[in-house]
Amino acid sequence: MSVLKDIITALRGGANEVGESIVDANAVRILEQEVRDAEIAIAKAKGSLTKMKATEIQLKREVGSLNLDISDYEQKTIQAIESGKEALAIEVAQKIAELEVERDDKQSEQQALDSEIQKINNLIRSREKRIQKNKRELDKVKTVTELQRATESISTNVAATGSSDHRVSQALERVKKKQQNWQDQMEAGEWMQDENTGDSLDAKLAAEGIGGTGGGANAVLERLRAKQGA
Amino acid sequence: MDLDELAFQLNNYVGEEGTSFDAVLNEDGILEVICSNNDEFPIHMTTTDTQILAVTRLFDVSEVVVGSVNELNEIFLLMSPAVPLSSIGRQGNAYILFGAMALGTRFEVIAHELEVQAENTIDVLEAVEELLT
Repeated sequence: MSVLKDIITALRGGANEVGESIVDANAVRILEQEVRDAEIAIAKAKGSLTKMKATEIQLKREVGSLNLDISDYEQKTIQAIESGKEALAIEVAQKIAELEVERDDKQSEQQALDSEIQKINNLIRSREKRIQKNKRELDKVKTVTELQRATESISTNVAATGSSDHRVSQALERVKKKQQNWQDQMEAGEWMQDENTGDSLDAKLAAEGIGGTGGGANAVLERLRAKQGA
Repeated sequence: MDLDELAFQLNNYVGEEGTSFDAVLNEDGILEVICSNNDEFPIHMTTTDTQILAVTRLFDVSEVVVGSVNELNEIFLLMSPAVPLSSIGRQGNAYILFGAMALGTRFEVIAHELEVQAENTIDVLEAVEELLT
């Protein structure tokens, strides 16, 4: 079930009044209930899984232990046969046979349990996939609902939601004017900074007697004397 | 980050390009943000379980020159992919510009997105100004 398709259907049907829900409330309830049910089922399954795993581990251990016993008795049977103790060998062989039956039973039980555990693991995985899918669907619904709320929320700036003629053009003009003022101020600030830097630099140069326009009164007198003399 | 925390951080932040923010949580629980680079078109913010949504209301369909809605829609569809970080859409009768970010997005990234969205608003509106009354 795709929520997006439902949303478009609802929108086409004119579901855009303030406060009117965009998606069928029932559909949302169903999705949410499915998520809850799946989460409960997973929790139960995980509980069973833990118990079953504990039993399986125990059975495996018992099978291992029986195999060791069988191996041990087989060695002893061979020793009994080699030392001619037929009657004893038969007794031990009977013991081995009993142990083998017990081991085979436990092994079957362990394999059946292992198979059951696999099934439950698969069930948990598929339920978890379902939960994630449903959560994504629910988020789509929430997104559309929140988008509607955010769009319709009355702004403190009347110009932003008014409906006068040329509202947008006038707003754009005001914004651009402010941006231009800011830009002008920035440039003025930079110019002022340049000037200050320039002033201080000129002052330094003058103090060292470098550059400058002429040499003041003395320079003028020198020039006039030279003129007279020439 | 919840909307209260976001408001606090925005009100005390100046971006790299000198943008500052005024952020106020209104009665509906919507965060209204005004960016200094565009104080005519506020951005409304809200959250879902996984996302932060930022919506700028551009204009109403009633503000479009009669008979030009199809042309406007076509232009917006073509323009939307080119607009950085923001998408153009419609919500009821309102055309909107919106951005969506993951809930765990770092604050500086959120602030940058808002700055860009405010700038985009101007560009988008200028592009279709002729089709508006």
